[in-house]
Amino acid sequence: MSEKTDRPKRMETRLPEKFMPTINYNTCVQCKRCVNECSFQAIDVRDNKVVPKGGCVACGRCIAVCPTSAIEIRPLPSQFPPHGNWTERMRRGIYAQANSGGVLLSSCGTDEPYDVIFEDILLDAAQVTNPSIDPLREPVETRTYLGGRPGRIEVCEGEHMKLCGGEGPIIEMDMPIMLGHVSLGSVSYNTQKALFMAAKELNIIAGSGEGGLHEDFYVYADHICSEVASGRFGVNASYLKNTAAVEIKVGQGAKPGLGGHLPGEKVTKLISETRMIPLGTDALSPYPHHDIYSIEDLQQLISVLKEATEYGRPVGVKIAAVHNVGAIASGIVRAGADFITIDGFKGGTGSAPRVIRDNAGLPIEVAIAVVDKRLTDEGLRNRVTIAAGGGIRCSADMIKAIALGADIAMVSTAAMIAMGCRVCQQCHRGLCPWGIATQREDLMARLDPEQAAARVVRLFRAWNEELREVIGGMGIDSVESLVGNRDRLRYMGPNPKIAEVMGLKTVGEGWG
Amino acid sequence: MSRASNPLPKPEYAYGAARPAGSTYLMGGCGIAGVMALDGSTISGNRIGSMLRTMGERENGLGAGYACYGLFPQHLDEYCFQVFFDDEEIKKRVEEFFKDYLEIHHAEKVYSRPVQTMTPPFPKIWRYFVTPKPGKDWFGNTQLAQDDFIIQVVMHVNSTMNGAQIVSSGKNMAVFKGNGYSYEIADFYDISRYSGNLWISHSRFPTNSPAWWAGAHPMSVLDWGVCHNGEITSYGVNKKLVEMNGYKCTVQTDTEVVSYIWDLLVRKHKLPIQAAAFAMAPWTHEEIATLDPDSRKLATWLRIAYREAFLNGPFSILVGRSQPEITLIALADRKKLRPMLVGKSPDDRLAFCASEECAVRTVQPDAITWTCNAGSPFIAQVGKGIIRAGIEHPFQGAKQ
Ligand code: SF4
Ligand code: SF4
Repeated sequence: MSEKTDRPKRMETRLPEKFMPTINYNTCVQCKRCVNECSFQAIDVRDNKVVPKGGCVACGRCIAVCPTSAIEIRPLPSQFPPHGNWTERMRRGIYAQANSGGVLLSSCGTDEPYDVIFEDILLDAAQVTNPSIDPLREPVETRTYLGGRPGRIEVCEGEHMKLCGGEGPIIEMDMPIMLGHVSLGSVSYNTQKALFMAAKELNIIAGSGEGGLHEDFYVYADHICSEVASGRFGVNASYLKNTAAVEIKVGQGAKPGLGGHLPGEKVTKLISETRMIPLGTDALSPYPHHDIYSIEDLQQLISVLKEATEYGRPVGVKIAAVHNVGAIASGIVRAGADFITIDGFKGGTGSAPRVIRDNAGLPIEVAIAVVDKRLTDEGLRNRVTIAAGGGIRCSADMIKAIALGADIAMVSTAAMIAMGCRVCQQCHRGLCPWGIATQREDLMARLDPEQAAARVVRLFRAWNEELREVIGGMGIDSVESLVGNRDRLRYMGPNPKIAEVMGLKTVGEGWG
Repeated sequence: MSRASNPLPKPEYAYGAARPAGSTYLMGGCGIAGVMALDGSTISGNRIGSMLRTMGERENGLGAGYACYGLFPQHLDEYCFQVFFDDEEIKKRVEEFFKDYLEIHHAEKVYSRPVQTMTPPFPKIWRYFVTPKPGKDWFGNTQLAQDDFIIQVVMHVNSTMNGAQIVSSGKNMAVFKGNGYSYEIADFYDISRYSGNLWISHSRFPTNSPAWWAGAHPMSVLDWGVCHNGEITSYGVNKKLVEMNGYKCTVQTDTEVVSYIWDLLVRKHKLPIQAAAFAMAPWTHEEIATLDPDSRKLATWLRIAYREAFLNGPFSILVGRSQPEITLIALADRKKLRPMLVGKSPDDRLAFCASEECAVRTVQPDAITWTCNAGSPFIAQVGKGIIRAGIEHPFQGAKQ
């Protein structure tokens, strides 16, 4: 063999570290809890002393468990020569792909610094002629319904008026919030349990995700919207009937156009039973549903699911926000969906190809506005409920999303953060040190479902209270009068064309 | 009180039929008054004029108007269009359009006279008694009912023919309105010339927009006439409902939308009046929970199906209609943030509604008055009397 062929076949580039745990040895008591807690093995023990090892993702777990606050995570200065075009992110991506030859994966929604249109929008407030309403003293209602709406109802007159037609299956929620779909597999059993417990406590709906529904969770059925995704994982008659609503997942904001992928390592016994797939095999849901290649096909599946659930549950369709979302939503309503869920391009996920996550789709703010407008123009908006998510971070985002046209704000990442997630964007590795996005028994045990649920409940109660304050301040005493009320918003961003597309007046413009 | 001798400062502008540029939304404080002869006798315009004028504090000269029902018994089957024109040219264009689509049975100039304190220009005001031209389609649509055909004609003129506004289009009724104080508008049209079974009226105190003739109340479509005091904070939502159902918001005030919602819910969707009123000013969910199961279900579905009809914010509205019967409806918002008083004469011959007690007392000192429950309509019909006092169970009280 020549010397040449002895060379390594593959030249791995070791990438510089981004974060470094720094241990203050004046206070460190060498308890080594950080070593045990760091699922990324970024802290080691050498000569009986805790030392940083490399691979820190700034998940913050070690800080949280250190009894003497001896740990600090420092972002390291860039080790790349500065370049405006070849940013560090670009170069890291190239090295990583040259190393692996694969698609770059990430999680938790795009971290690119796109403009947040929510922040360019200002809310109105009541003054003299429309007095504001103090929610502490007067009712300001936030009850919201999820399901199809009849457009009209029939009332029979007699001694006493009665409803004589028009009603259908509908779900009552105490606030306009829905916990987004997070599947068992992408998150742990405890995480999903906590989400369902919170949904029940708040009287709202939580999505099951595409992984089926564990039998233990049937007790939360009244607060679960089950997902029928292209892989059909876990979909059977009892699954469909043990939930309050059924949703066909066509697309997802974090990866529009793609299906799902749960790596075999995450397919434990529990997951394999729930998803109805063999242990340890990859759970790949195809990109399209192989029985949906047209709107007529979608219509058929909607009918089948309605039939299977004996017309007792609302059936919805989830799509990713894409450029033609208005027309697509219109088709979905005409195909018989009772509700539509639109997922914006900043939506979170447990695992997505970075290139899609960062570059495909539409900001949810714009998607909501154009769908609401299109459905109104076509006389369909009063037939359907719209849930929208993918980038809703706080009550202000939620309120603006509603005023732009969503009935319900779909929120997932904020709920995960409430449970402890530090948005380290490593969910796809299954090593979540907070016990959220993992199937490892030891890590999973770190999340107590009761406590996590309580945190989610407190978060959304607070948001709902803020919602009541804000709409009361607008002189509105029930949230349905905010849905699509774009009159009460003004745009203050840099691009008037965006305001036009969203149907918003700009700041300074009055009523007339 | 005579304001004529000492009028408040007038704005320099005065608009005719053409909407002022950029003006998309008009609203205000306002005074409203209505009077109905329950026994079918007639009431002179003088009476409503004095009711409205008494509440002079509730206006600032930027609009007032009156609608009279039971006005044209000799034209019962014809729609009466009252139209504002800016000039002869647009009048000719509109009349040509009318001739294409309508049988014009009679046309006349609406009487008006100069009022010293009012600043011209004033629109030219004409009245046409019309019916849809037999066999005529509406841009290919042959299925339209007569009422819907008339609505299309009205919307078309109001939205596309600048300088013309059809301000009322119902049978057996007409609207007299304009830019001025209540006494000036009464004087301008000399409403003492008219008498009918029902009058509703309005004087404006707009807060953040200029006034124009067609923007004054009552707002009317077909025979519906609506006078409104308040500010609908859900306007953007309500507008969506009417637009979804084919109405065009041409005057674009919240009151215009209210008249379309009445037409949609009661005429087209055939809801009983108080069910429609419930949809517009619903009980809270907490209150609904106290109802009997049937009513609870109806109340819940009225809220779900007609979410966009919910008029949120402070309002009191007076509604008149002449089809199928001459009817007066008074409704206040569910929190009663705007005043609305109702009453009757001791002999049960007259029914009254007004923003203030003084308006009723001035014409009927011994009237019996009361206020309705929040969101609960008062309903009176000629020949039937007061069929709903506004304090009953939400789904009891009146049959149409
Ligand atoms: S626990 Fe997290 S923050 Fe601490 S060293 Fe490990 S990866 Fe870094
Ligand atoms: S869920 Fe866990 S792994 Fe994923 S971002 Fe949050 S902390 Fe990191």
